Amino acid sequence: MFSNFTNIVQKAQQFIDPTQGLNLSNSDRNPSKASLFQNQFRIPSTQNPLHEINAELTIPPSNQTSGDKDHDRGWHYAGKLHLSEGYMCFSTTPSSFAQSASVSTSSAFTGQTHGGGPSGNGFTWPLCAIRRVERLNSQNFQFALAFTTWNGLLYEDTKDTKAKQDGREQRIIIHLAGTRQSCERFCDGLKKGLRAGVGSVGKLRKVVAEDYSEYLLRTEDRKGISPPDAGLGMIFRYPGDPKKLRDRAKMRLWAEYLRDNGRNVTLIRQPTFHKLIRVGLPNRLRGEIWELTSGSIFLRLENPTQYEETLAKFEGQDSLAIDEIEKDLNRSLPEYPGFQSEEGINRLRRVLVAYSWTNTDVGYCQAMNIVVAALLIYMSEAQAFFLLSALCDRLVPGYYSTTMYGTLLDQKVFEGLVEKTMPILWDHLVKSDVQLSVVSLPWFLSLYINSMPLVFAFRVLDVFFVEGPKVLFQVGLAILRINGEELLDATDDGTFISVLKSYFSRLEESAHPKSENPKLRAVTRFQELMVVAFKEFAGITHNSITELRLKHKDAVLNNIENFAKRTAIRNLGPDSKLLSTEELGALYDRFYNILYERQQRDMMLQQDKIRKAKQSRARASEIFSGGQDEVEKGRVGLGPSTSHMDYDAFREFLASTSKWAISDSPGSSRRDTMSESDRPTRYQSARRPTESISPWGSGPEPAEHEFLQRLFKKWDVDGNGQLTLQNVVTGLARIKGRRDIMGTITYFFELYDDDNDGKVDREGILRLSEALLFLSRRGLEGSLSPSASTLALNGDAGVVRESQGSLPPGASANERFLGSVSAFIRRCFEYADPDHPNNQASEKFQTENDAEDNSNAFAIGDDEDEDEEDGGEEDLLGFGSPSGSPSKAQKPPTLATEDTQDSQRSVSKAKSEAANAALDPAHPLHMTLPTFRMVVLADELLEQFFESSFPTSFHIVDGVPSTASPSAGGLTTFSSLGFGSRPPVPISPAAGGAGRGLRGVMDGIITDGMRVATEVRRRMDEAQKELEKNALPGQKPDEDEEDDEDIGIAVGVRRGPGGASGDSDSRSVKSSDLDLLSGADAEAGAVKEQEANLADKDPHGGKPLPHRPATTNEPGVVEFEG
Amino acid sequence: MSESAPKPSSSVKLVLLGEAAVGKSSLVLRFVNNDFQENKEPTIGAAFLTQKCNLPSRTIKFEIWDTAGQERFASLAPMYYRNAQAALVVYDLTKPTSLVKAKHWVAELQRQASPGIVIALVGNKLDLTSDSKTADSDEEGADGEDDSGDARKVSTEEAKAYAEEESLLFFETSAKTGHNVSEVFTAIANAIPETSLKSARGAGASNTAAGRASEEQRVNLGNARESGSKDNCAC
Repeated sequence: MFSNFTNIVQKAQQFIDPTQGLNLSNSDRNPSKASLFQNQFRIPSTQNPLHEINAELTIPPSNQTSGDKDHDRGWHYAGKLHLSEGYMCFSTTPSSFAQSASVSTSSAFTGQTHGGGPSGNGFTWPLCAIRRVERLNSQNFQFALAFTTWNGLLYEDTKDTKAKQDGREQRIIIHLAGTRQSCERFCDGLKKGLRAGVGSVGKLRKVVAEDYSEYLLRTEDRKGISPPDAGLGMIFRYPGDPKKLRDRAKMRLWAEYLRDNGRNVTLIRQPTFHKLIRVGLPNRLRGEIWELTSGSIFLRLENPTQYEETLAKFEGQDSLAIDEIEKDLNRSLPEYPGFQSEEGINRLRRVLVAYSWTNTDVGYCQAMNIVVAALLIYMSEAQAFFLLSALCDRLVPGYYSTTMYGTLLDQKVFEGLVEKTMPILWDHLVKSDVQLSVVSLPWFLSLYINSMPLVFAFRVLDVFFVEGPKVLFQVGLAILRINGEELLDATDDGTFISVLKSYFSRLEESAHPKSENPKLRAVTRFQELMVVAFKEFAGITHNSITELRLKHKDAVLNNIENFAKRTAIRNLGPDSKLLSTEELGALYDRFYNILYERQQRDMMLQQDKIRKAKQSRARASEIFSGGQDEVEKGRVGLGPSTSHMDYDAFREFLASTSKWAISDSPGSSRRDTMSESDRPTRYQSARRPTESISPWGSGPEPAEHEFLQRLFKKWDVDGNGQLTLQNVVTGLARIKGRRDIMGTITYFFELYDDDNDGKVDREGILRLSEALLFLSRRGLEGSLSPSASTLALNGDAGVVRESQGSLPPGASANERFLGSVSAFIRRCFEYADPDHPNNQASEKFQTENDAEDNSNAFAIGDDEDEDEEDGGEEDLLGFGSPSGSPSKAQKPPTLATEDTQDSQRSVSKAKSEAANAALDPAHPLHMTLPTFRMVVLADELLEQFFESSFPTSFHIVDGVPSTASPSAGGLTTFSSLGFGSRPPVPISPAAGGAGRGLRGVMDGIITDGMRVATEVRRRMDEAQKELEKNALPGQKPDEDEEDDEDIGIAVGVRRGPGGASGDSDSRSVKSSDLDLLSGADAEAGAVKEQEANLADKDPHGGKPLPHRPATTNEPGVVEFEG
Repeated sequence: MSESAPKPSSSVKLVLLGEAAVGKSSLVLRFVNNDFQENKEPTIGAAFLTQKCNLPSRTIKFEIWDTAGQERFASLAPMYYRNAQAALVVYDLTKPTSLVKAKHWVAELQRQASPGIVIALVGNKLDLTSDSKTADSDEEGADGEDDSGDARKVSTEEAKAYAEEESLLFFETSAKTGHNVSEVFTAIANAIPETSLKSARGAGASNTAAGRASEEQRVNLGNARESGSKDNCAC
């Protein structure tokens, strides 16, 4: 089962990208240039690399240090300058994101972050932060640009001139190194971006005003202003002893750095920047640097009011996430005083709630409360909100998702790293059966906040936000390395945990308490940890983590999916017990596989569309943007995905289990799409345009038939047009589970009993028989007993003995089944109860060949088809009888008991007369369940159909037998008989009315059904004639056979030479035969009927009908052809 | 009541499972610290606690894994119930859905956990029902859900019948009042078969031979390394 599913998934993946053998999405294996670019500079996903150019950055000597001779000429960095729609980024890492660049150059990162964050020296500036650009005359370079930023000048009351006097104007020079052409192109792009950015300066002002650096570096004249919100720490003190943390000294260093290199969005990263972060951030600047390094400040810049707006929008609303959040508010860093107060709790609640609304896929996951609580100590609510977004989307994706696949994946990666770097410890863990992830999972999930004392956890976070998730691994490995000896003594989870617990509690202590060297003695255990993490495990890079994640991803997802599957199957309720475990497992796989495939196809088509749209309007460089990260959705293991199957998916699902649900005319989807608009809206689904990819993917194209719609409706117990796995299981269990013929018969009957009044009307009977033909057109399955030979047809035993389920030579059981269906219809009408006993006497013997009457009856069908639930046929006809009048209600049971008791023999004359009247289309009639049961049981073939072939036709476990190819070749329908070469188009005008004709062309099956129905109707008429003649209904099988002789179906079958199966002639109905059969009345009624059809079509908006009789007004078109 | 008694001692791995907020952590807290309070330890993944339980013949040291109840943590559960010898599946007497969830857990354990795992079904929050007033209810209490006006929504009969059907231990407890809490753990301790104690935890599970080899050693080490603080037993 497991491997089965994996195979399916792999197949699905290969469909998306044939080069992929592994279960990895495209974005995994080959991340787009845009996403690499976005990750490198931590800028929003709206940004795409538009231009890049080699450049040299010159930072002039700062004013503060101008006296220092070493710095006279400033600092120079060679690197690459990148331009996106709204950002200009410089980095000394040589990575390139140009279209032409190879994958390795865009992902071969150096520096501390290895592409996982802002690495090397440089800057990430929003274009709106640039105030002025001048071109300098330069001899060495063609282009030298001087950039002046808004650094420190964003307050309205700050005078420009004054700022200059203060020397705080930030000005850098960039020399572009490239051909004149490329330089000009870059400058053009820059000009465009700058112009677009002008409007955002106001936004920028608002955003940076919340940053503490603006306050820290405020000018003399602004001394009086109040500081911005730098977290709960400002009210409740920051954790740790500021003296011990040397907070003041750090603050001074940072103030100097920011003064020289720009604050918040205009900051330039120089080597000191990374060093300052490694020694720990000062309390009041911590929040700002976090949001700067994580890039969440750019998210805030994009949409500064999103947090407040989200809160306002959903105010007062409830959700599951909110309930869960409430439960945890009191246990989020409860030791911190801020979270013992209303103020802190409220802030925490607001941020978590706002995020749960913003990202409903994640909602709320325990551990988020702890992380957000930690953030709130150092930053404002809005800052924490955006930082949480950056965490969930970029830094630790999948950690907090509903399946937590990211968490589990990183645990696997971590275990792999331990095995590789500390093989002895790993062996010991395996031997002592200690599960590492039990210990390490909380480290990762709560970013060490819950494991270490807060002060130290924040130091880890400082580095984590710059250097990315690899920090979590480095620290984790270092913890194990340092405690290696003690851990080697631990042989159970309990001891293992307590060793680490005690280590964490002593992080403050000296790492070398006994050392003679006072310097060494001063080194704390935490410092030691950091050194080990970043020195000893320097080899753990963003790239190596990414690689390991790729390696383990499939297994992790499979694990999750197996767990989900196990759980889901177990929770399916009592109905599921009717199916075997194997069937349930296969059912589950099929269900989700179909949904997954469909979702993937949707995505592909969407991307295709986006791409096309982009190509048509914009430059090629934009192609790779947008939507890339979305590719991988829908897989169960990844979290929330659709778990509802719409009608189209349902068809696809059936097509994968039952051969009758496969379309006869592959490739007709386009036409089918057109017809879709004609279907009742409830079955409509958003159909994708079939541009380059088939909407059905690689699987067989599903058929469309009224029966499928009915089945869908029946399974859709909630009536919301969607099926859950539960619905599907219950639905299938009722058909397949009991293997009880009476149950199946009842089930079938109920499918056609639209108003649940225990009666199936005339139209229903016809539809029901169509369904029988539809279901059997690829042959019957299951155990059909040889004795069937005595039934239905004239007992040509030699022919009957043929094997079932595959293509039978000559008249097989499958073909005899057609005869059975004809007989079935006839019997149905014979034994049906008239709806109106009073009317029946007077109009008993009406002529039946009246075409107008016929069309009336069809008109009824029209109404009914549009509104299947209504079923108020009687009302529509205006006979004034409320559906299900008492007289009728009483009658059926008596009839039924009699009939079932001594089979068909005791049909009285009176009843035959009633049946006679029933044949009159002007007289509504109905069939009750007992009647239906009797009629079915009267025919052994039908009986067997309900007993075994129908239930077995659902191949849950092994899928559709491969013999049933989606081609029309294997059909045992009328459509495959004889006239295959004839183009189907001429049928449409013949069918009368454009709408119906179109339908006829579109769907072969339905056309078949229509034709059958027509023929059946005609047969009824003939049967009635016959009845009139001998006034005795068919009482015995023998007589049935006689009747059958006149039926076109039977005729074709029997008159065929009975030769090889491939010979179409052998099974075909000769056109001449049909002409004989249908010619007369068809010709007579042709014109009239066409008029009638046209007339009654309009009021119903030209809805085509599946079984509106395709009456032959063109003799050459024969009903039973294809 | 201390480890000075030279009784044979063995560790038992016990896992708590159940819907969120049914009181798993509270039960553990009551058992381990004889305390009831706002939960100070957020359960991320799982919390690990130990407590000893003195039986007449031996001492059982419970290694308790208190798992997070949030639905999405469910996929982590196999990590925690792996090799567990005992499980406490907790539901909330006032919340019928929590019993449904509990049944799911029982089924999961029966199929996936070590064979022979001792499972106890525990209906918690008895203090919220009217039969908590009759100090030692005969488990016959109010089966009518609404007649007594209490918050009980799961009748004793229903849960008990289910427990019997699945051969689970069954208790109704209140972590708040402490009612029946230690009884649950004692009953579990008694129900653990001697043989499975000898072979320590992990019996029957997919253990490597190496894992088995260290079993004796583990028990001894466990004795030597008693971490002191929580030695007084609640039972």
